[in-house]
Order: sequence, then structure tokens, then C-alpha cells
Amino acid sequence: MTSIWRRAVLSEYFILYLSVAWFAALTPITPGFATAENLGNIFSSMLPLLVVAIGQTVVLITGGIDLSVTSTIALASTVGALLTTRKEGAGPALAAIAVMLGIGIAIGAVNGLAIHSLRMPPFIVTLATMMFFSGFAIWLTASRNIHELPQAFTRIGRGLDGGIALTLIVAVAVHVILTRSILGRWLYAIGRNVRTALVSGVLVSRTTIAAYTISGVCAAVASILYTGRLETGSPVLGQRILLDVIGATVIGGASLFGGRGKVLWTVFGVLFMTLVDNSLNLLGLSNFAVLMAKGFVILGAALLDTARRRYV
Amino acid sequence: MERRSFLITTGAAVLTGCSQAPSKPTVGVAFETLQTEYWVASRDAIKSELDKRGAQMIEAIADGDANRQFEQVRNFIARKVDGIIIVPKDAHTVIPMIRAANNANVPMVLFNRPPAKSDTKSVSVVADNFTIARETVKYLAEQAVKSKKRHKAAILIGDLGDINAIGRRDGFDEALKQYGEAFQVVARIPTEWNQEKALAGLTNALQANPDISFIFTSSDLLLPSIVSALKSAGKYKKTGEPGHVFVAGFDGDATAWRLLREGYIDAVGVQDVYFDTEATVKAVFDMKAGKQVPETILDKGFVIHRDNMETESRRMWGANVAKG
Repeated sequence: MTSIWRRAVLSEYFILYLSVAWFAALTPITPGFATAENLGNIFSSMLPLLVVAIGQTVVLITGGIDLSVTSTIALASTVGALLTTRKEGAGPALAAIAVMLGIGIAIGAVNGLAIHSLRMPPFIVTLATMMFFSGFAIWLTASRNIHELPQAFTRIGRGLDGGIALTLIVAVAVHVILTRSILGRWLYAIGRNVRTALVSGVLVSRTTIAAYTISGVCAAVASILYTGRLETGSPVLGQRILLDVIGATVIGGASLFGGRGKVLWTVFGVLFMTLVDNSLNLLGLSNFAVLMAKGFVILGAALLDTARRRYV
Repeated sequence: MERRSFLITTGAAVLTGCSQAPSKPTVGVAFETLQTEYWVASRDAIKSELDKRGAQMIEAIADGDANRQFEQVRNFIARKVDGIIIVPKDAHTVIPMIRAANNANVPMVLFNRPPAKSDTKSVSVVADNFTIARETVKYLAEQAVKSKKRHKAAILIGDLGDINAIGRRDGFDEALKQYGEAFQVVARIPTEWNQEKALAGLTNALQANPDISFIFTSSDLLLPSIVSALKSAGKYKKTGEPGHVFVAGFDGDATAWRLLREGYIDAVGVQDVYFDTEATVKAVFDMKAGKQVPETILDKGFVIHRDNMETESRRMWGANVAKG
């Protein structure tokens, strides 16, 4: 028994086991928690958050951080909505999706270039781009939401099919990059020690730009899902999810100091965060109690994770 | 260690009252935010109304995030609530939420903010912003014209994407139209419901027009900005004192009540929170019972001023908040 317990705690699936334990513990006292409908809700709530968190994982592996994901989501949402509003058919929807992905690539590349060329801390660079592009999205729409989007566009975010397909593509692609490509090895090498990586012939510049570009693309994909789900393009879309994104990624096991992180771990982190959010919501506690309980649970999970790593 | 963590969290959840009698009707209440007095007072009044009907309230606050609100509404539906009361983030993002409630056959009532036009079905309980603002400004104008001089007026406008802000602005314009040349509107200050923007805008307006003597704010939330700007301009005077600026607010919060009693403002258009919450909860139960409920229920509100404040303060939610 002790051996099984020890193996579970030291396993890389620890957060998954914690999620299962949370689910089992809360099911008897949480009305509607273990129903098929609610499990569907949990799954669909996970998808956009997971996509952004996967991008953040890549950046964290290099020892960086991307605070601009929220502004990428907002700007892509407003531009995509402006291009498709009151236009039916697949053509405008596909064009808008391409432009939204282009926005993600552009913002990511700007971040990567600025961080490498100007040798500025990622925190400051992405904070600046977050403020700039958030302001730009608000200016572009004069603070208004854009609505009347075509079904061809909203269907991707509304139904589970489109969301699952996009999330799977992102997750598999990033997993393959991290585990089967030279770029993946370079990302980890930069995160462990950038000087050693440079001396070893790693193309630090291109690898950094690639990491932030991947994060930008992931944010743009999440924007497609969020915008479709709400049937509205909003200049403040995603403004409040940054802490959830970073929290889920770090709880999953990615290190804020670089060199550690996996797509699968991030899946577990997002699953845990979504489960906690969903169950506390269903419990019927007051909002203040929910916030305190959530903070307490996340801190507890992080402490457990830190403690177990001493023995890994 | 892990087991202890679970015991603590689950124990805390049980102790804070998550287990309720299953027979009680349950209503999900989703607020966009609880960051102003008005929303907190409304939330408390809804809770009190639900308690009166023996119903359990489960609440969720979206902190300004429309996607989070959408997820919260879906959680309510999964929990099989008997109805949902929502203060939506905005008129458009609430449409998919109403659609989800319609598909699950769960009654949905929108509190204070109506939805945009769509094919969905819901009930909205909203203040008659136009009428309340018009009557408030009319009362203020009647007081001001007694001075027999021409007044320069300013209005602090809310977020023009918010239908409530537009109604209040139009009510202001309609009221002053009747007085012709007696009032000249020299400043229309866009605030987006933001105190800093209101302060900067009014300070600039008072610099450009130091003789502004008539101010209407579209929300009491902005009263501290007015007080600060008037103090800086040396124009913060009580009713009856030379140089008094006629000021009226909208909402009826505790600050407005205090300033009204002290004589620094002259009138407040009050949203009748007690009527709104009673009508909201009644609408949920009527819809659940299959009764016909009008699509929009209007709160006509009332104007409180120095002449009627002692009698009307019982209906003013901010006065009750101030009295504790």
C-alpha cells in the first residue's frame, strides 16, 4: 500500500490522480457534479483554456512567460468578428479564421523578436504588448461588441466537434514538436541554460521567436473558440483568464524557471483547475467562499507538487 | 498530507452549507460583478426574496468575463435549477446563455440589463431609465430656474454601449428641452462608468466653463468624482449657499443619500431595488408555473429630494445600506 501511495505521489500523473480524487471526494456532496451533462460542460470548458495553456507551456519551457495571450485573444476576436459580421457563408468565415491566426503569429513573432533582439525580460515585453494590443482592440471597436456573426463561424465554438478537432490538432502538433523534433530539444535546452545552449550551437534567436509564435497561434485558436461560443467579438474577451492559464500550466508541472513542461501535464493542470472551478460553482457557496476555497485548493495542490518534487 | 487536504476542503464545503434539503426549489443567480454597492444591494435583496419563498440560491460571479458567465449558466443547468436570474455582462453575449436555458426549459430572468433582439425567450426586469432620469432632471431644473438666471449644464454620460446609459442621457435631454433658453448644455462628458474619466472630464469642463451650475450624473457611482472636481474648482457648496451647483444623481446609493442629507446634492433618481428584486423572483416562479409573464417588466423608480427625503428614504436602497 505504501509503495502504491509513494508511486502515485512521485508519478508524473500525480495531478491526474489528484483530479480523480477531487472528483471522487466531491461527487457525493455536489449536486449535479457527476452527471453526463456536467461532465460535458467540464470537457467543453476545458478546450479553449487548454489551447492557450499549451502555448504558455512552450514559452515556460524556454524560461519565459507570455502575458500578451489575453490581448491576442481580444484582438483576434474583434478583427475576426469585424470581418464576418452580417456575412453568411463559409468564405468570409475561413478568411476571418486565417486573419485571426495571422494576428496570433504576428504578435507572437513581435514578442519573440523583441525579447531576443532587445534582450529585454519576457515579462516586460509581453506586458507591454498586452497593454498595446488590448488598447488597440478597444480603439478598433470603440469599446463595442461585434455581433451577428455567421453560423459557419460560430459553429466551431458552439459545438463540441469543432472545438475538439482544433484542440486535438494543437495538442498533437505541440506534443510532436516538443518530443520528436530538434526544435523541441532546443526549447528545453534554452530553458535549462541559455548560455550552454548557445555554446552548443542552438539557434537561440529562432527558437525564442518560434516559442512565442506558437503561443500566439494557440491564443488565436482559443479566440476562435471563445468568439464562436459567445457569438460575439469582444475587445475585452479573455481579459480575466491569464491567471487561470498560468496557474493551470504551473500546477500541471511546467516550471516558471524553464526546462520543464509537457503537453500532457498541462492537460492535467487544466483538468484540475476546471474541476475545482466547476465543483465549487455547483456547491452553492457564496462567491467570496468560492474565491477563498479556490485559492486554498490551488495553493494546496502547488505545495503538494513542490513537496513531491524534492523526492523525484 | 493529501488526504488531510481533501478532508479540510470538503469539510469546509459541508460546513458552509452546501447540503440542503433536496425538495427546496433552487434558483441560480449569476451576477457579472459585485464591485458596486448597487449590485451587492441587489444580490442581498434577491437572496432575501428567495428566502421568503423558501428557495435556495446558488450564486456565481463572472468578474466581468462573459465566457465564465456562460460556463456558470451551463453549470446551473447541469445542476437542474428551477430558474436562473442573471445580470449579464452585456446585451449580446447573453444570447447563447438564454438559448442554453431555453433548450433546457429553464426560466431565465435578466435583472437590470435587457438582451439584444434575438429568437430567444426571456424576461427582463429593467428600470425605466428614460422616465426616472427625465423626472429627476425636471425636478432639479424647477429648483434651478427659481434663481431666475441662465444655467450652464453638464451631464456625465455612462458607457454608450449600455442601453441604460442611453436612456438616462435621453431623459436628461428631454427634461431640459422644456426649459428652452434657461439651460445651455456646455459639457457632455463620456465616462464609460469610470470614476477617473469622470473626474478628468468634469475638471476639464469646469476649467473651460467655470460658471457651470447644473450637473446630472448618469450614475451615483460617479458622485465622488463630482465632489472632487467641485472642491478643486471651489464650487462645493450646500443648497442655499451662494455659488451652490445644482447636482442630481441616478441609482440611489449610500453616497447619494449622505450627500442629499448634507445638502450638497439636490435630487436622486432611485432605482427601486425592492420592486425589481420582488418582480424578478416572482417572474422566475411564474414562468416555472407556466404563467404568462410580460417580456419586459419596467421599474418606474422615483425621485428623492430634500423635500420628500424623510418619507421616501425607506424605499431608497442606499439609505437602508447607510443605516445598516
